[in-house]
Amino acid sequence: MSRFGKALASSVGKKIVMGLSGLMLLGFLVEHLHGNLKLIEDPSGAAFDDYVGFLKSFGPLLVLAEIGLGLLFSAHVYLAFRLTLENIQARKQRYVVRNNRGASTVGSVSMFYTGAIILGYLLKHLIDFRLDPRFFDAPHAAVQAKLSQPGHAAVYLLAAIVLGIHLSHGFRSAFQSLGLSHPRWNPLLERLGKFVAFLFAVGFAAFPMYYLFIRER
Amino acid sequence: MSAPSHDAGSGRMRITLKIWRQEGPNRPGKVETHFLPDVSPHMSFLEMLDVLNERLIASGLDTVAFDHDCREGICGACSLVIDGRAHGPEALTTACQLHMRHYSDGDTIHVEPFRANAFPVLKDLMVDRSAFDRIISAGGFVSSPTGSAPDGNAILVPKPDADRAMDAAACIGCGACAAACPNASAMLFVAAKVAHLALLPQGQPERERRALAMVHAMDEEGFGSCTNHFECMAACPKGISVESIARMNRDFALSFLKEAPDLPTGSSVG
Ligand code: HEM
Ligand code: SF4
Ligand code: FES
Repeated sequence: MSRFGKALASSVGKKIVMGLSGLMLLGFLVEHLHGNLKLIEDPSGAAFDDYVGFLKSFGPLLVLAEIGLGLLFSAHVYLAFRLTLENIQARKQRYVVRNNRGASTVGSVSMFYTGAIILGYLLKHLIDFRLDPRFFDAPHAAVQAKLSQPGHAAVYLLAAIVLGIHLSHGFRSAFQSLGLSHPRWNPLLERLGKFVAFLFAVGFAAFPMYYLFIRER
Repeated sequence: MSAPSHDAGSGRMRITLKIWRQEGPNRPGKVETHFLPDVSPHMSFLEMLDVLNERLIASGLDTVAFDHDCREGICGACSLVIDGRAHGPEALTTACQLHMRHYSDGDTIHVEPFRANAFPVLKDLMVDRSAFDRIISAGGFVSSPTGSAPDGNAILVPKPDADRAMDAAACIGCGACAAACPNASAMLFVAAKVAHLALLPQGQPERERRALAMVHAMDEEGFGSCTNHFECMAACPKGISVESIARMNRDFALSFLKEAPDLPTGSSVG
């Protein structure tokens, strides 16, 4: 293996890829949230339809971006499974009695489970919209039709909360993995992470809530 | 652990110990219960185990094997997981510095060895931590020509750097970080050793190679990888900060971006 490949396959190398891919996925979510906000900004749905049309107009470039995003997800998910398995196997004989000292959090111990739920949700989400050929004919109507059904809306709501839990640990953790840490800034980063997590959870939860409770059907 | 209820001078305590017994490496182990009717609050935890062993010898039974050396919190030999916590309930305290005054009459205490594949149990509470020695010999050194003693002030070290290097050098290599880590990762130990040298001028020539070599050595020993729970820092008796882990990650990232000399194969101390 090349020096670079060996470094990348090491425990620290894998975490660097994990952190980078996580932050890049977060970057994608910023744009996704921004696009979605058009659903609420303009209740007629025209602004959202225009936005989808705008994205579609990129043609092959859009497909390229989607492939990039797919690769990013694949890297993150592949390493998530590998690291989680390796870490479980690193202690074959478990403790009879084990007590943490309160440093680990709900977010940190559940990263794999929240990630797996996000993955399952993602597949449903793609099937609901992106992979449905009728979606592009009337994007806003498709979103409204799905999210005004309580069953579907509940899944979207849950996924938003789970994403928040993932990010409550993931955001701050990614900086640590990438070696970006400074005693002066760490407390701020910690709080920023919680804030970002809250923002994304509330942000994405807003849409199912909106169609369920606020929007007239 | 409840609030101590004995009167601090003379009150003797009845303590029940649930101790991990294992005859040897790769043998099945089990929890064994022992009752001590007469524990003094002045005893250290290890002295209590000494008392237990004396009783076992008197009854012709096999003593409980456990590691210890200095018994003053500086050597890193003691390695007990007490009630599920590496080095026991007190913060910044090695198991040998834990005293029975923190317990009360009637308490039951669970004692286990450090657990990680990379720390195989040798017997009872004793584990093989030579994995740490191999990690050190992969890069935890500076190469310098021998000869006459250099002038004390020939290499200037800024005070803040010296202080931070000293903080990292406080690591006694006990392994509690790996024992406490939910992933059995040894990152805090390795990072402390990397940071200690990376903060000093003497450590600069081998800085990047060191981070790479020590991380690879750590991986080869079968430790898990860090997911930033920070349980290590909470368990470390010497207060080593996860700040050093970030520093090592940074050195590691930079070193594989740069073209550095080939990794040393194995130990090159000479
Ligand atoms: C939009 C989706 C996602 C975002 C924004 C995201 C973000 C992040 C971030 C920022 C981290 C921290 C990386 C680090 O500690 O260096 C992380 C870690 C993690 N993610 Fe995700 N993630 C997403 C989806 C997923 C999915 C689908 C899985 C699938 C199982 C997953 C599993 C994990 C696991 C297990 C970790 C912890 C890995 C470790 O610390 O070793 N994530 N994620
Ligand atoms: S970092 Fe702390 S817990 Fe880990 S080996 Fe060093 S002194 Fe022990
Ligand atoms: S016996 Fe030396 S640190 Fe505990």
